[in-house]
Amino acid sequence: MSKAARQRSARERLAEERKRQAQKQQRARRLMISLSGLVIVALAVVITVYFVNKKDPNAYTGALAPTTRQSDGAILAAKPGAKAPKLELFEDFQCPICHEFENSSGSTIKRLAAEGKVNVLYYPFWLFKQQTDPIRGNSQRAANAALCAPADKWIPYHDAIYKHQPAEGSKGFSNKDLIGWAKDLGFDTPQFEQCVNGNQKQSQIDSMTNYAEQARKVTGTPTVFLNGQSLDLNSTLLNAKNLEKAILAAPPAALSTSAPSTPPSTATSPSATPKK
Amino acid sequence: MAGEMAAAGGRDGILRVVLRQQEWITLVVRLALAVILGMAGYAKFSEAEGLQKVAVSSYRILPQGMVAPVAFGLPVLEMALAALILLGFATRAMAISVGLLFVVFIAGIISVWARGLSIDCGCFGGGGLVAKGQTHYLREIFRDLGFFVLAAWLMVFPRGKLALDRWLGL
Repeated sequence: MSKAARQRSARERLAEERKRQAQKQQRARRLMISLSGLVIVALAVVITVYFVNKKDPNAYTGALAPTTRQSDGAILAAKPGAKAPKLELFEDFQCPICHEFENSSGSTIKRLAAEGKVNVLYYPFWLFKQQTDPIRGNSQRAANAALCAPADKWIPYHDAIYKHQPAEGSKGFSNKDLIGWAKDLGFDTPQFEQCVNGNQKQSQIDSMTNYAEQARKVTGTPTVFLNGQSLDLNSTLLNAKNLEKAILAAPPAALSTSAPSTPPSTATSPSATPKK
Repeated sequence: MAGEMAAAGGRDGILRVVLRQQEWITLVVRLALAVILGMAGYAKFSEAEGLQKVAVSSYRILPQGMVAPVAFGLPVLEMALAALILLGFATRAMAISVGLLFVVFIAGIISVWARGLSIDCGCFGGGGLVAKGQTHYLREIFRDLGFFVLAAWLMVFPRGKLALDRWLGL
């Protein structure tokens, strides 16, 4: 090989080497950029989930407003003599959004009721009557047991039922469980068990469902009326702050527009009769 | 000039024009995908937390403990991917991520459909149970397939105009 040829091949090698170096750098750069892109996205997600998840809704543990059963089976939670707006809750225990509503706003409602700032009427009914089992039966058993429970245990029992809400599509709310939760709350009696096992509140469930669907035109749950005005789910019901604002801004209302004008029963036994 | 060539070369000509304009097309695709993803993410993000969770749990795929993290994380994931695609940063990696995301979405909808559930996909917010006969699975799948095609374009041609990648020397 001549000297000139050797020199040229050395130059070529050098150039090749440089080119390879440049390609390597380019690859490293591409990798760095890709990785940092992925890291940015992952960090954004992880930080959000961490902070949103940590924001635990502090459950209300204060005193509860006295609860009494109306003649139509609805449960009134009201501080005696409170001049307050009226909040009517139409719920189905199997409805997932009712559960979310309970999680996000249940505490606020309990607190405001205890403070006498709102009078709450609970209407458990059988929205999922037309659905197939297991949703249909879950919903029916829960509504029946809730109506069997004595009025003064309504709120803790109502919370316990929601806490154990079966995932949609799986069977749950067995009578045995429903009785077990009553036992946990200390109000399990033979009458209660009979009422649960015998589905004894069916006629009340029917009249309540009729009332919700026919008289109040409730087509989905949760439906909540503040002084007769239906509240928006996304902006108000699932946003406890807005719900509180709306309640505090509403004028006091008479309690007996929906139910027949019988005075609220003060009995704590499940002795209410169906409206019809 | 572009029109001239298309007229002259028939199908090959059109292909050549497309390839010549590839960097502009990539920019347009990036804008479109960023707007779609950003809107989908923001619609979910701005909803009440309860609704977000119901939308996820109605698929009945994830275990209970995973519902909340996914419900809160997914909107942010979509918005972050949208932002980086808009900027043209790590375009190929982001496009692959978006593509995978759409594959997951499509698989989720097919799974729901196959199990006979009646839900709204909650793709742009909303979601949860709907009445039987009120489902739009086929439409939702084709819409996501369309979005997947956009992502696929970016996987193949990540190099585009007005991209941070260019500025960083890619």
